[in-house]
Amino acid sequence: MTFWLTVALSGLATFLTRATPLFLSAGAPSSRALRRYVDALPTAVIAALAGAATIAPGDVLTRGAEPLAATAAALVALWRRNLLLAVLAGAGALALLRAVGIGT
Amino acid sequence: MRAEARRALAEGWPIVLTSVVVGTAFGIAARQAGLDPVEASGMSMIIFAGASQFAALDLIARNAPAPLVVATVLLLNLRHLLMAAAMRVELAQRVAWQRAICAYLLTDESFAMGIAHVRRGGRGMTYYLTFAGSLWLGWNVATVIGATLVSDAIDPKRYGLDFAITATFVAIVVIGIRGRADVAVAIGAGLLAGALRLLGASAIAVVAAGALAPLIAVALKDRE
Repeated sequence: MTFWLTVALSGLATFLTRATPLFLSAGAPSSRALRRYVDALPTAVIAALAGAATIAPGDVLTRGAEPLAATAAALVALWRRNLLLAVLAGAGALALLRAVGIGT
Repeated sequence: MRAEARRALAEGWPIVLTSVVVGTAFGIAARQAGLDPVEASGMSMIIFAGASQFAALDLIARNAPAPLVVATVLLLNLRHLLMAAAMRVELAQRVAWQRAICAYLLTDESFAMGIAHVRRGGRGMTYYLTFAGSLWLGWNVATVIGATLVSDAIDPKRYGLDFAITATFVAIVVIGIRGRADVAVAIGAGLLAGALRLLGASAIAVVAAGALAPLIAVALKDRE
């Protein structure tokens, strides 16, 4: 029973983090600074997720394979502006680097 | 609308595939931790958050008290507050139950894909709901498969599949860059999150970096 209570509360906690901002009374941010802040949020959060996984995969310092694979993804994204190709380049680069013994 | 849905699947399938692989791994891990398939599946349906589920599973297996489990899940998911805040304008016209469904399906991946779609001029919810729904389906079906057919599946690392999500984040940031401020924010956030992780602040690394880096944009624009 404790298990299901724990899962239910964990699910509620997760849902609240995802839903609360959508249900607060909206309205455009009043100050310019705040607007710039909110405007930069998506870039910051996604870059933070990418940076954490690239620099510290598994919470330890990368041995270089992840930054190289991320660079491959970034270059293909710049070149072709295509998500799918960039993802394949990043994953493929890491697979190759692992195959030749760089990275874990 | 059909075209939007097809585009979502065409662009999102590597991520859905990744979610299937990781979801299978979760199902297997849940069985190894002593949960039955119904319990494993219940976690995936009720929590529906990859990183949090693995963390919660680890704590549950060690008989950690419920408040600690819930607090850990809450902390790991605080980043979704920022993502939902960024999606608010897009969803402002939607009725409550539609917003609730979008919130339930909000993950790092669906946010990243949804925002990328909006940034290149996409409108409406079809793209987001198609991708997020596919991700949900893949994750939950995979959990059941992993929890029932415990076997040595393919090793996602061998194909770099475990990096597909990170590569997606990199590509979305790169494609979405609109100016120097964006570049500065992205580099700042990435380095800070990586540094915080290395310093042992793993649980708050993404939240803290995501919340602090936009200040770079504020500071840069103020000087212009």
